[in-house]
Amino acid sequence: MKYKLIIDKDAEEGVVVTVHTPSRLTEEIENLVLSFSGIDSITGHRDDCMRRLTFSEIECITILDRRVTAIDTDGQHYRIQERLRDLENILPTYFIRINKSTLANERRILRFDAAFSGGVDAVFRCGYREYVSRRCFAQIRRRYEGI
Amino acid sequence: MKRIALEFLRRGVLASGIGPLVLAVLYLVLKLSGSVTMLTVDEVCIGIFSLTALAFLAGAMNAIYQIETLPLMCAILIHGSVLYVGYLITFLVNGWLALGWIPIIVFSAIFVVGYIVIWAIVYSIIKRNTERINEALKTRQEGL
Repeated sequence: MKYKLIIDKDAEEGVVVTVHTPSRLTEEIENLVLSFSGIDSITGHRDDCMRRLTFSEIECITILDRRVTAIDTDGQHYRIQERLRDLENILPTYFIRINKSTLANERRILRFDAAFSGGVDAVFRCGYREYVSRRCFAQIRRRYEGI
Repeated sequence: MKRIALEFLRRGVLASGIGPLVLAVLYLVLKLSGSVTMLTVDEVCIGIFSLTALAFLAGAMNAIYQIETLPLMCAILIHGSVLYVGYLITFLVNGWLALGWIPIIVFSAIFVVGYIVIWAIVYSIIKRNTERINEALKTRQEGL
């Protein structure tokens, strides 16, 4: 693997990594870049408390009772002010869309379960389950299997 | 919901034109085989109306697969049930199925067996795909 540093005062700053497959290195680089840019976390509200949730401790972000909600590794729910569409743009690449209203941290997915009803559920490490839509399931297959 | 309703109508209208065409082909086949040589006005009209309605239903019901939150098997079940009722009524009003318990039971049994086969195939495909994705997920997580 090569390292290349381009210093250009006129160009927009950015880090581009070209690899064959994601690895611990790409994860570290991504975390470093997000942390350096100050966007490695979001603010969550629960009861009267406010907490900064780093991306790695979020299992998924979904819409519950018409509110954007982050579920952390302990299964606690936090209300999020940002819209899901906006979050999709700032979240790291390991967050994948599993249905129209849920972004999942793929590192925190324990497994996918095929239900007899024909649906597929994503089971998270905290025990939370969320359905995977057919369209997103096809996208996940393409992402994982390259088909 | 409005989007699904519009999709239902759009697919139904597009498919409804095929109904009379299928009826014409069916009667041509029956004529060639010598089973039907004459048709009354009533038979033709009932055939055209009922096959148009059935084709509308068959086309429109495909919109159910656009509902993301509905599991595939539920969609298949609803689709199958509606088509079953549609086909049964069409067969009965056209006199293609004798009015009685035995013919209806035989018709229903064939329909149910067909659907169970489709169900089993779909479930096994989903199960296999899920297992493959779990393997890929495991490999991916181990690599991180």
